[in-house]
Amino acid sequence: MKPLEITSLTKRYGSTVGVEDVTFAIEPGEIFGYLGPNGSGKTTTIRCAMGLLRPTRGQVHVLGQRVRTGGATEHARIGYLPGDVRFWKWPRGRRTLSLLASLGGQGRAKKRREELAERLDLDLNRRVGDLSKGNRQKVGVLYAFQHEPDVLILDEPTSGLDPLLRQIVLDLIREAAEAGASVLLSSHDLSEVAAICGRAGILREGRLVELAPISQIVQQGRRRLRIWFADSTLAPPMPAEQLPGVKLIQRRPGLIDLAYHGSADAVLKWVAQFPVDRVVTPQTSLEEAFMQYYRLGDDGDRVDCDGVKSEGCRL
Amino acid sequence: MSRATRVPFPWPLLRSWFLRTLPVWFLIALAIFLMQIAVCGIIHDNQSVKAFLNVLDMFPSVVKIALGGNMLQVGNTPGLIAIGYQHPFILFLLMLFAVGVPTGLLTGEVQKGTMELILSRPVKKLHIYLCAGFLTIAGMFALVFVMFLGTVTAVHIYEFNDPVPLDLFFRLAMNGGLLASAVGAVALLAAAYFKGRNMAVGVTAGFLMINYFISVISQLWPRMAFLNRVTLFNYLSAPKLWRGWPLSDFAVLAAVLLVSAVAGAIVWQRRDLPL
Repeated sequence: MKPLEITSLTKRYGSTVGVEDVTFAIEPGEIFGYLGPNGSGKTTTIRCAMGLLRPTRGQVHVLGQRVRTGGATEHARIGYLPGDVRFWKWPRGRRTLSLLASLGGQGRAKKRREELAERLDLDLNRRVGDLSKGNRQKVGVLYAFQHEPDVLILDEPTSGLDPLLRQIVLDLIREAAEAGASVLLSSHDLSEVAAICGRAGILREGRLVELAPISQIVQQGRRRLRIWFADSTLAPPMPAEQLPGVKLIQRRPGLIDLAYHGSADAVLKWVAQFPVDRVVTPQTSLEEAFMQYYRLGDDGDRVDCDGVKSEGCRL
Repeated sequence: MSRATRVPFPWPLLRSWFLRTLPVWFLIALAIFLMQIAVCGIIHDNQSVKAFLNVLDMFPSVVKIALGGNMLQVGNTPGLIAIGYQHPFILFLLMLFAVGVPTGLLTGEVQKGTMELILSRPVKKLHIYLCAGFLTIAGMFALVFVMFLGTVTAVHIYEFNDPVPLDLFFRLAMNGGLLASAVGAVALLAAAYFKGRNMAVGVTAGFLMINYFISVISQLWPRMAFLNRVTLFNYLSAPKLWRGWPLSDFAVLAAVLLVSAVAGAIVWQRRDLPL
């Protein structure tokens, strides 16, 4: 039994596509990154998984149970943090969290709540309406974690938090996963996804265009090659016709910076004609890999910067 | 496959909503209670009625109508006490609760974004609707019971020349409660359907206005008397209540209440939330 399993999920709003034929599953103890720009369908997927939206087609299973819209399927065992979390303004933080916990599955929520509040340096005696955006986000984090759920569905959990608190929240997510919880983490912050997620799915216009371990996604991006010439005045022009799939990033006297797909053989053979001082292969970041999924042609193929198309977007 | 965890009824939510609604309910109940005492205080002897009418005569006719002066011109003691049940101010207070509570609880939570939090806990969508419906209808009947209590209290405070048939006022209160609950159920349906509270309130207020307009037209214009059957206000009739329990009228109002509440539940259950 997978803790969270989404199968052929499609959600349309009239003629507008929210998500189209999305399929993925999360393993026990896994932190799964769910990436995509605004409007790509992340929140729609999450709301379908929470039973807040009725799928047009497909199904979602949580902890072995098929999610029924409005049926609160296994919600006692799910920790959910909405993207734009909003609370009642008048009650104090403690009262708000206590009410929400009392609706079911509270377990040892009270003790855990106090522990988390101390760790996040949050005053639960203040009215939620009086709190800053960052502190309200902390209340949201407490809300998701206080009942020690088996599945965490987090939409931008570190939004509005300072770097120190962001780190604490990421630690909390890691600890929950180590304790066996499965985490669906939707985020715009690719560095935090790269830091804590094992696998990720990338959404583009409602479709899942990539589903792979983070390391593989990064490798599928262009590789970089930075070459310093022994002659600091040398700046040879790159023969584009001999080097298909190679993009010139930067060229100045004594230095050339390239990005390429596939083998480096052709590039190295071309460079070998010149006196080389040193060669560096900078690490491709998740950001760079991620951006490539949004430089695609209409037919779904990845477009190289020199106009050559290559096969991209595998599931 | 393991069995699904049973989802209990959200009593803490019902309690929380009850406590939130209570201050408004209390203020309305207090106003209704005091209104019954005041009406009985004014009409318990003819001298007072005459003095009150003389004072009212000094005001413009709009103010006089709003204060119920025209109603005082005719009627025996029970008829005059019944003014406290049919006065526009009382109807306004009852409708305020009937429309405000379901729209505030359902649409209000959706609009504030807090419904997403409630629905992400082990709470069924239908249970949330039932909580709002229960508070609306139970609150409504509690209000009309307070209205009846006001009359009972006033009858013990003041002496009347004619006997006061309290059973008639109980029937009148129950009939009024059913009418207001039917309007509450229509408000519940509007709250289940619309995303914005203003829209839900506006549609229910529009429904009420149309009913009231038809009621007035059908009474003033004999050729339009046939329209009387389609207005909710036709099913609150003091002459029929004199004779006993008008079960057919009660049945019509109960049917409107039930159909609107069930339709609201279906709409609420099928509607995507929250967007």
